[in-house]
Amino acid sequence: MKAIAARDEMALAQLYDRYRVILFGLLMRILGNREEAEDVLQEVFLQVWRKADDFDETRGRPFTWLVTLGRSRGIDRLRTLASRERVAEAGAREASEEVSDAASDAFRSEQRGLVNTALAQLPDEQKGPLMLAYFDGLTQSEIATHLGAPLGTVKTRMRTGLIRLREMLAGQGESFGF
Amino acid sequence: MVHQDYKEMIPARALSALDAAEAHALNDHLADCEECRSELQEWEATAAAMAVSANPMEPSPKVRERILDEIRNESKSEVIPFRSATRNIWTSFGSLGAIAAVILVTALIAGLVVLWRQNNARGIELAQSKEFLELATTPGAKVMRLDGVDRGAGSSAKLVYDKTGHAMLMADKLPNVPEGKAYQLWFIVGKNPPMPGKTFMPDDTGKGMLKDQVPETAMDSAVFAITIEPVGGVDAPTGPIYLRSSAIN
Repeated sequence: MKAIAARDEMALAQLYDRYRVILFGLLMRILGNREEAEDVLQEVFLQVWRKADDFDETRGRPFTWLVTLGRSRGIDRLRTLASRERVAEAGAREASEEVSDAASDAFRSEQRGLVNTALAQLPDEQKGPLMLAYFDGLTQSEIATHLGAPLGTVKTRMRTGLIRLREMLAGQGESFGF
Repeated sequence: MVHQDYKEMIPARALSALDAAEAHALNDHLADCEECRSELQEWEATAAAMAVSANPMEPSPKVRERILDEIRNESKSEVIPFRSATRNIWTSFGSLGAIAAVILVTALIAGLVVLWRQNNARGIELAQSKEFLELATTPGAKVMRLDGVDRGAGSSAKLVYDKTGHAMLMADKLPNVPEGKAYQLWFIVGKNPPMPGKTFMPDDTGKGMLKDQVPETAMDSAVFAITIEPVGGVDAPTGPIYLRSSAIN
């Protein structure tokens, strides 16, 4: 990130090459539309270029900063699209299966397997609200309405689910680059 | 609410899932609680891990090209005026002319340095005001006034941005910031989470200046706000609002 802040184009290109697949997968999961997801992906890396000197390595790793930024921009775009007319959800789920072999090979599948295994071990009542919050950008109140569950119950399940997820991923931070 | 109540809200905050009132209350608490700020960082790392569960996908190679083209264009626009001026001088005067030009330029620079030393602060302020005015008079530019609220009462700022989102903020009578803190600009659109802008430090007289880029989604109907945050900035506000905007044209 220091090299990017020093206007090193190659450093940005390397960061893009390293994280493009995971970030684009995340944005496709959120937006379900290739054109929109690519547009947001471009915005994210341009923002990284323009604000790299704002990155504080004492506050977290580049992975967390980049993913948090990407998700935030993705949710912002999702809400913008929703105000027009949301992209068809069915199409989104189908599109998200379009993974190239090259992408799969390049991606650190072991790490993905760890997260998916951990998520799979969560009860649906905990996993569901977490996924709605993370990938659909819903608040706890919106999730409660969506699921027809009491708000207090949703809050407890989300908190418990995230605590369990953290416990299951404990010690994996270095290998994830978190 | 007590400290423990806020701590229990942090995992939901890491997922941006708090409702507005709770998020606001927690932000106020985070401004004064290092322990909770640190805990939020840990929860954000856990939340970020969920991104890995999405199916990895390969974007079009054109995205990489577009990004690199864009940053090269930005770099060019930053340096072209200087390169052009240098080339014109050397090619116009030849070697003897070049020496004379060097002497002339050196003398001019020396004179400017003297003037700069004599009136540095005022010169910078005038240059910034001129730049602000130029930006404000471009077609389609918008000017916003930010007024101090609560802890920022008495302070004020003006923010101008053009059609491309290039923005400049000039603030006055800002309270001093604690050590390790800086002012940070935010773009707020509706009930969406505030989008972070850059950070800046006020001078000894409480004046501050910032150049930033207004996000595309914030161009038409954003509220602009300023908080005090850790130096380097944060992705989501942790402190109370010191100034906030209202449109003046």
